[in-house]
Amino acid sequence: MIEVKNIYKSFDGANVLKDISNRFEQGKTNLIIGRSGSGKTVLLKSILGLYDIDQGEIWYDNREFVKMHHKERKKLRREIGMVFQGGALFDSLSVEANIRFPLDMFTHQSPVEKKKRVEFCLEHVNIEKSAFKLFPSEISGGMQKRVAIARAIALNPKYLFCDEPNSGLDPETATIIDQLIQHLTREFEMTTIINTHDMNSVIEIGESVLFIAKGEVAWTGSNKEILETRNKKLNDFIFANKLYAQLREEKN
Amino acid sequence: MKFFFHVGQYFTLLKKVFGRPEKLRLYVRQLFHEIDTLGVNSVWIVIIISIFIGGIMTIQFAYSMSNPIYPTTLVGLGTRDTLILEFSSTMLALIMAGKIGSNITSEIGTMRVTEQIDSLEIMGVNSASYLILPKIVAVVFIFPFLFIISVFFGLLGGLVTGPIAGVISIPDYIEGIQWLFYPYYITFSLIKSVVFGFLVASVPAYFGYYVKGGSLEVGKASTTAVVNTNILILFFDLILTRLLLT
Repeated sequence: MIEVKNIYKSFDGANVLKDISNRFEQGKTNLIIGRSGSGKTVLLKSILGLYDIDQGEIWYDNREFVKMHHKERKKLRREIGMVFQGGALFDSLSVEANIRFPLDMFTHQSPVEKKKRVEFCLEHVNIEKSAFKLFPSEISGGMQKRVAIARAIALNPKYLFCDEPNSGLDPETATIIDQLIQHLTREFEMTTIINTHDMNSVIEIGESVLFIAKGEVAWTGSNKEILETRNKKLNDFIFANKLYAQLREEKN
Repeated sequence: MKFFFHVGQYFTLLKKVFGRPEKLRLYVRQLFHEIDTLGVNSVWIVIIISIFIGGIMTIQFAYSMSNPIYPTTLVGLGTRDTLILEFSSTMLALIMAGKIGSNITSEIGTMRVTEQIDSLEIMGVNSASYLILPKIVAVVFIFPFLFIISVFFGLLGGLVTGPIAGVISIPDYIEGIQWLFYPYYITFSLIKSVVFGFLVASVPAYFGYYVKGGSLEVGKASTTAVVNTNILILFFDLILTRLLLT
């Protein structure tokens, strides 16, 4: 479980995050949604420690992240997997070597054990063996995302972060990626936080949803409640897509 | 103020770069890769440039010393000393700043804008150390060798070009390159090579590591890195010459 309490973050005097509090449950896909520029990426990067927050607390289970010593943070980071928007795979390494990288860096496993783990991770994200030796530039966007997910789970993390994991993908592949993340979250009992503005993802896997507007928490709930809400800001966000407006009308 | 900001940030980065490596074995592997990419791949260009410059210098020295009061051996001596003292250390470093420096900035800069560096940081890897330290060690290690190769092929260029151009005979040239030879010049230039190697790797790495934006900014950072590295090479050339040679 990850909990954030009263987080504030500003850049050059502009408040980007204002008094954000929320609890992200273990074994669930927790979504942070909001318009572009609402502060969701800043929140995600603040939780990860890529930005230092101005005020507030970040708890990884019973460990307070903000007050942690540099060495403790490094140790905690080995329990974190991250899937970046663009995949962020290492260009100079093959698919296989990308997954092996964290294993080489942080474990004392034998080459055979590493090979098994690499195969396990890649098979879990449905990457065929023929693609193991390919380089990131030689595979499709959807495949890159799946490899990025495989790398994120290589060290068996307790916490998984995904920054717009299905952006730039066709709807079918996007759904596959969403379902894959949800499946892995349940299988490995991870605390997963996903940053998205894709309503399909919200409906598909939004077990817990945090809606941010102008750097503030505007609504929290789940995908089951989201279409019923009377929150104006959230309604403006969701029903900007006419399909969802129609869906609600039909439901009512 | 911006200058002091960059100087401060550069030394902060260096402190991070020389932090304790997570796994030495991976750094060593990376070091060999960098020696190959940055060093071995530069040998051919060094040889070609040195042969031509050695040849051109020999002809120019012969032309400017065409007065019969100068002994012809001065042509060999002039070529040798210019190669050792300035060309094979300083000029070569300026050329390598363009080749290796822009390569380092664009590689690290691209990793920054595509979030690969963030990815390393989140894994708990000291990204500055992992990406930059092997490059610095590789370039500092390879530069003295490139200097020696450059001097050798520069002298060879003069030996081939001088007689072909009819400006000096082979025995006169060989006698000239051995005349009044001070081994300290080699020591002095090797020291310069090490310092310039450090600058050629660390300054472009700094500009790549802190790049913000996209591919356009990476390109701009490469240009800025090469310009600044060149200025620093010439500045340190002046300082080292004053300290070690006069």
